[in-house]
Amino acid sequence: MPLKFPYKKFPQNPNEAFPDHKQAQRPVIPITVKYKDKEIDYLALIDSGADFCIFHGEIGQLLGIDIQSGKKLEFFGVTGEKESAYFHEITINIGGRDKHCYCGFSELNNSKLPYGILGQRGFFDMFKIIMDYKKNRIELSAN
Amino acid sequence: MKTIQVQDLSKILKPYSNEWVALSEETNKVISSGQNLSKVVEEAHKKGEKHPVVTRVPKDYGNYVLGF
Repeated sequence: MPLKFPYKKFPQNPNEAFPDHKQAQRPVIPITVKYKDKEIDYLALIDSGADFCIFHGEIGQLLGIDIQSGKKLEFFGVTGEKESAYFHEITINIGGRDKHCYCGFSELNNSKLPYGILGQRGFFDMFKIIMDYKKNRIELSAN
Repeated sequence: MKTIQVQDLSKILKPYSNEWVALSEETNKVISSGQNLSKVVEEAHKKGEKHPVVTRVPKDYGNYVLGF
């Protein structure tokens, strides 16, 4: 049976191109991030354009991970500025299913990252994903 | 594929710019908020929420085109 999630609506500032937009509907789902005996539930965006998974450094810190001891990767994020992430072996649980994930954690206090990011490596390579915007529905099946 | 109800967090999160927020797992209501994630989670636990769902509210909910 596929796991089913609704889309979520978030605040959005109206702008010249979309003056009536006060909300954005995004494929954001709850996940549990686990490391050793600790875990935290966290919202993450399904982002097919992201090459890998990135979570906030504070999430890793809360789980007891020494963030900067991980393998470092520099990437260009939302703003086009160069950012750094440190990769660690963790477990993510989605809808009761544990999956191993080699995931990056951002520098601490990265206020530009609005959600955790579920990208190609660590998420899309583990699930078959159907996103139906009009029906507000996201379905995940194990690959 | 059936249509399902969108979870609307747009009004709930708007007052918490640039803060960590702990949401109730069941109701999506804000249980606690603040700059320090550890304290936000601790406060949610004290209020009886065993599994709060945390999220970071950005300073400015702009228009995102995400991808690395």
